[in-house]
Amino acid sequence: MEGFMSIDIFIIILATGVRLATPFLLAALGEMFVQRSGVYNLGVEGIMMMGAFAGFFATLQQGSPLLGIIVSLAIGALMGLIMAFVSVTFKAEQGISGIGLYMFGWGLSGLLFRLYVGGVTSIDGLKPIAIPMLSDIPLIGQVLFNHNVLVYTAFLLVPLSGIVLYKTSWGLNIRAVGNKPEAADTLGVSVVKIRYQCLIVGGMLAALAGAFLTIGQANMYADNITAGRGFIAIALVYFGRWSPWGILLGSLLFSMADSFQSMVQVLGINFPYELAVILPYMVTIIALAISYGRVWAPAALGKPFERGTRG
Amino acid sequence: MKKKVLSLILAALTMLAFTGCAAKPAAETAPQKTDGEKIRIALVLPATVDDMAWGQSMVEGLKAVQKSMGEDKVEVAISEKLGNAVDAGAAIRQYATQGYEIIFAHGSQYQSVLNDIAKDFPKTTFAYGTGFATQPNIFAYDPQAQEGGYLLGILAAKMTKSGVVGIVGPVESGDAVKYNYGVQQGVAKGKADVQTRIAYTGSFNDIVGAGNLAKTQMSAGADIITGSSQQAVGAVRAIGETKGNYWLSTDMDQSSIAPDHVLASQVYHWEKVVNKIIDLRKQGTLGGQHLTLTLADGTIEFKYNEKLADKVPAEVKAAVETAKQEIISGKLKVELPKK
Repeated sequence: MEGFMSIDIFIIILATGVRLATPFLLAALGEMFVQRSGVYNLGVEGIMMMGAFAGFFATLQQGSPLLGIIVSLAIGALMGLIMAFVSVTFKAEQGISGIGLYMFGWGLSGLLFRLYVGGVTSIDGLKPIAIPMLSDIPLIGQVLFNHNVLVYTAFLLVPLSGIVLYKTSWGLNIRAVGNKPEAADTLGVSVVKIRYQCLIVGGMLAALAGAFLTIGQANMYADNITAGRGFIAIALVYFGRWSPWGILLGSLLFSMADSFQSMVQVLGINFPYELAVILPYMVTIIALAISYGRVWAPAALGKPFERGTRG
Repeated sequence: MKKKVLSLILAALTMLAFTGCAAKPAAETAPQKTDGEKIRIALVLPATVDDMAWGQSMVEGLKAVQKSMGEDKVEVAISEKLGNAVDAGAAIRQYATQGYEIIFAHGSQYQSVLNDIAKDFPKTTFAYGTGFATQPNIFAYDPQAQEGGYLLGILAAKMTKSGVVGIVGPVESGDAVKYNYGVQQGVAKGKADVQTRIAYTGSFNDIVGAGNLAKTQMSAGADIITGSSQQAVGAVRAIGETKGNYWLSTDMDQSSIAPDHVLASQVYHWEKVVNKIIDLRKQGTLGGQHLTLTLADGTIEFKYNEKLADKVPAEVKAAVETAKQEIISGKLKVELPKK
């Protein structure tokens, strides 16, 4: 209605969008490393739930969100390790084992919550940190520089992941293992080791995404707290064509559309709410559909590595 | 020597394990022997037993019944997290097969699944809600959410400073539609120029989404917010972190989540509904009735948060009380959306 496009509203939409993009960015960047190494982990959602619970529980017990972050990273690494054990060492079908991990994470996080907490319990989570100087810049300051530490971490991880993937030898190894594992193997790169490392990093980032939901957003825990965000993150890896900047674009597009549709609803603009809530999905799918062209994927994605066979 | 010790420890452990196993079933079967006129009730929930909302209010109702009738007279079995109606169907069928006499499927989404199952178990009583369509052995229960919503709406309109009341809704259906419509009418009645802004998350259990939507509501000007379903706790928590904003809860008293921010609640008392179904069944009525929860029969209670009671001026309380009495006496009928 009146003043809908006022500058204040615009800033709120953008700042909220930046905040909402965080869990997608964290989980999708982690999954990007996993898929770049030739494995897809559909258990991201389950790892997020475990990370969400672990972060929440540690914060509840010790009153320190920072400890919550550390504990959730450890749990995420463990969940990644489980996935690596099943899908890399035992070469299980990745889709099935990922779904298994998802269900395991959902069930276990719910069970642990029931056993050790039970009921709605609030915590004091992370507080926004206004970055000195930068947060005073008109517009941009409010949008970008007044968030909690995990938001900054997620956005800093974008260029960092780019550097790791394209400018370091570890990144080169990851890309080699994901594209031509047999060639990498011949050159003395351990396919198994790289895939283990990527699954562990992916697990840690997924758990961090989950922890962001509990200690950086909701400040509480409830069953199924992720509500499908892990699966959206996996879709965003495809959307972003396995590149950090593509994932940033996809996460922001989705979250900004989400933030925008919430505001459209709140301001009572005459628009069916059913269409509003699917707007983020629609925008993302349309963007994906019209931007096709160079469709590239890690060549060995989803194929367990067997020495002596051609991928 | 070492081997001996090890085998001893193993033997001891095995013994422990066996005694552990043996003790358990004995404890579980014991209470069943007292079976006389025991009523066996099963409950299927979309979310959890401790969701501080829709599900928990029903669990507390069943527990109250169990307490008043005696633990040995009422058996209650609960399956939770069955938001998916197909999974819930499997659980409902299993309960019916196991001989549970009354099965509550606590959600409007279970209506069609119950219709299918109830035919195969003509002697079992089924109940679901929010709903109104019944079958010979299906009760539909139907909280008149708009009644408490109306009262909360009046309160909101009179208490808002910004002139904006926000609703964080789940999905535009069933209970939420009735509740929101009641709040809207109450706000309009309470003060003419106060706006009600309704927004939905599109989910019943996305507490993070509900929290974010509440933040958006507040940033756009709402200072009093309400909303139904189990995801609402996320919104309550988000409001609890702010200053000067209030939440109005429905389904249950949610003030324990944010004691300084929950102003008042609409509380459902399921105990009476459950008792009524038990009595009707005893009299031979297995279903077929549409049971409403209303302010008039005490199944809906309007309740202030005692801690914040002094924040509400007496004249506001009086206006709410007048409306409440008018609803109870039937003088005032809170409208439902026409669809």
